[in-house]
Amino acid sequence: MKKFLVLVSVLLIAGLALSATEYKVENFNGKTGGTFYYWGLGDPKSFNIDWAQETSSTVPLGFIHATLLEADEGGMPTESGLAKEWWFSDDGLTFFVKIREGLKWSDGAPFTIDDVYWTFVDVSLNPEQTANGNGSYMDSNDQLPVVEIVDSTTISFTWTVPMVTALRQVGFRTIIPKHALSEAVASGTYAEQWTIADVDKLVGMGPYVMTEYVEGVRIAFERNPNYWKFDANGVQLPYLDKLNYEIISDQNTALLRFEAGELDIYGPSAEQFPRLAGMAAEKGWVTGVGGPALGSEFITFNFNTKDPVKNEWFRNEYFRKAFVYALDRQSIIDSLYNGLGSPLYGPVSPSSGFYNPEIEKYNYKYSITRARLELKKGGFDWAPDGTLVDSKGNKVEFELLTNAGNRTREAIGNIVVDGASKLGIKVNYTPIQFNTVVSRLLDATYDAVVIGLTGSVDPGTGWNVYRLDGGLHFWNYPPFYNEEDHITEDMYILPDWEKRVDEIYRLQTSAVVDQDRYDLFAEFQMLFAEYQPVVFTMAQNFLYVHKGDFHLTIPQLSPATGILYQVEGFWKD
Amino acid sequence: MLKYIVRRLILAIPVLLGVSVLAFLIISAAPGDFLDAYRMNPSITRDQLRLLERQFGLDQNVFVQYFKWLGNVLTGNFGYSFTYRVPVFNLVWRRLGATLLLSITTMIFTWGIAIPLGIYSALHQYSLSDQTFSFLAFIGISIPNFFFALLWLFMSAKTGWFPIGGLISQNFNDLSFFGKIGDYLWHVVGPMVTLGTSGLAGLMRQMRGQLLDQLRQDYVLFARAKGMPEKNVIYKHAVRNAINPIVTIFGYALSGLLGGAVLTETVFGWPGMGRLVIEALNAQDLFLVMATLLLSAVLLVIGNLLADLMLAWVDPRIRFRLG
Repeated sequence: MKKFLVLVSVLLIAGLALSATEYKVENFNGKTGGTFYYWGLGDPKSFNIDWAQETSSTVPLGFIHATLLEADEGGMPTESGLAKEWWFSDDGLTFFVKIREGLKWSDGAPFTIDDVYWTFVDVSLNPEQTANGNGSYMDSNDQLPVVEIVDSTTISFTWTVPMVTALRQVGFRTIIPKHALSEAVASGTYAEQWTIADVDKLVGMGPYVMTEYVEGVRIAFERNPNYWKFDANGVQLPYLDKLNYEIISDQNTALLRFEAGELDIYGPSAEQFPRLAGMAAEKGWVTGVGGPALGSEFITFNFNTKDPVKNEWFRNEYFRKAFVYALDRQSIIDSLYNGLGSPLYGPVSPSSGFYNPEIEKYNYKYSITRARLELKKGGFDWAPDGTLVDSKGNKVEFELLTNAGNRTREAIGNIVVDGASKLGIKVNYTPIQFNTVVSRLLDATYDAVVIGLTGSVDPGTGWNVYRLDGGLHFWNYPPFYNEEDHITEDMYILPDWEKRVDEIYRLQTSAVVDQDRYDLFAEFQMLFAEYQPVVFTMAQNFLYVHKGDFHLTIPQLSPATGILYQVEGFWKD
Repeated sequence: MLKYIVRRLILAIPVLLGVSVLAFLIISAAPGDFLDAYRMNPSITRDQLRLLERQFGLDQNVFVQYFKWLGNVLTGNFGYSFTYRVPVFNLVWRRLGATLLLSITTMIFTWGIAIPLGIYSALHQYSLSDQTFSFLAFIGISIPNFFFALLWLFMSAKTGWFPIGGLISQNFNDLSFFGKIGDYLWHVVGPMVTLGTSGLAGLMRQMRGQLLDQLRQDYVLFARAKGMPEKNVIYKHAVRNAINPIVTIFGYALSGLLGGAVLTETVFGWPGMGRLVIEALNAQDLFLVMATLLLSAVLLVIGNLLADLMLAWVDPRIRFRLG
């Protein structure tokens, strides 16, 4: 009897352990088997997630790694990943994460809370160990969290003020294996670990494991035998056994490869899309058009050039607004994007859940008349020969830069010149080398620049741009921000709305209630719409096309999901 | 002759040193540095950038940087690539196979066609076939490589005769040994023809012109007059004299073996050195650029030496002497 009881309890425990490993994704209902053919532009540079910078490296790494939380269709960290449960303490200062039990790394080693603790404390929070540093983990008092292991499955992060962005910063952080990397981290050689020559050493929690990398040809993946997600019928994911990530160095070649049936899904450029859409019915392809991309190109005017006359213009909100009206965005969208783009008038893309539609009340659109009206309001006037002069009689003329080789930015530069000439403004436009643009921007030794930054669903990730002390706050750097700076206390002017934007960016990290953050970012967008510190232009719509026998997990992809959303649930007939 | 070679190699050392100083200074004088892409990353703070500058040694004076680099090179350490975080020659080594496969087949293709055609054209001057060959060769030289490459890929996609770029097929691992070799050769045809056709015309015209020059010389007239068989006149005398400048060109061509061809490689997705170098230049990956530049300089020195040795071999009038 006693033996029987022992046996029963052993079976029970085993049964519990087994059920604990199963994470069922209810809405997945696909077929197993087959190979997923995907592609990437250019070779990866590193297989080390903390030193990889380009998408050519980070996208393939996404297949082999997992995070505590996963994104929902809006790109927000609300779905369970390696974390089973997560919650904030009542005061909002502490963020708790309870991980799933009984999971294994792709090499069979157990996944424990130690891996999570070590990933954060030894790697993420230590600026020497990652390229990006630990800035995004700091709360509004510039303090890093105190990380503690609560029990064998729970870890806590405590800040000095509430920190909602913990959801994103902690939740979307790739957890790396302590057993494979702790020695390198301790000896300070982590940056040289997991290079492109180390395919056989990579260990992860993601749906696939990397098996081969042939330079310039492909990265081959196979299913991770220890992957922890199962579908509604208890089938272990991913559905597709193999993944071939073809490395293609030219977008036109990729198009030909997709047309020849060698790729399953393809994100075409706007130029290529109409051709593919035309062939779709005949070939049985499925095409999709999502909202405008999250990143955007914009024009920034320097409030602190070395010329006080120019500073007067650029600080004048009516001057900047004249440019909002003077840019014929639609003609660029038509010529560059085949009409597959959207004009943007604020820093948050309409594809983001944070987009505030109220900014549309300003009714910005292309109108030279209204641009002239704004200039009048700003105290500008026109000389008899039609050139624009400011209230002191100076002719308005400035230099516009962008990086050569970027077709979109070069085209935007051209419409700026065109729009400005209709307002009697002479713009000396020169596309120059990228590195020169960067150093001119960061030294605040430019007049105006057309540039773009990567975007994200959550405007909070733009803190380094919008905070006054942010490294990319290039339109109005505070005095003596850079060494040998020409910006002095006397010339620096800080408008109230800039102060408020800075405040919003400090408050949003500690807003405990989601609604508060929405409200703060709504206000932020209204301020930008009203004062237009930088003039946003437009974004290309998100485009994709896939084969008919290839199935995604959701009916419609968007910029927030990206193409590879829930790759473990992709399947083929 | 051995003494000559050794002396030439010793003389190469100051040349290489000079190349390295100039290259290092020019790269450093270019605006910006490797970290510029990091500077535009919204999630990297200024403190972090200073830390990275220190880690990469970019916060130091360019001369300090150069002598540190030189010191390391003398101990055989050519440095780590900033981008890849691996020793630079590991990267070069990984690309060597594909680069040599393409450059050597291209060389065989170009020289194998250009020299015989040049000779043929010279012997049949102004004939229809001479005009046709010249015409075709000039079409080859006039079509830009990237465009020819795109046309080739389009043709491949439509007909299926050739692969749409790349180095190997998707099923490469399942092929037999000879199947693999065949697969490589099948893939190299496109980039080889693209690169080969653009070099064909120059070489062919050079050969033709040189040979025509020689055929007008008195010694050819004399040889013919004394009744020497035409074959001997042409191949033993005229061609041998005409080949002299071609050998010099060959020496230079050797130095280009590892250079790669950026545009053609990019369109065909060929993992060669050209793309590695251009990406390193764009990213200002200092040590990787330096390593590849030095490698080209070494090859140029060796190529020149080989050309001189071959000249002496084809032309008995040339003696080894250092001025």
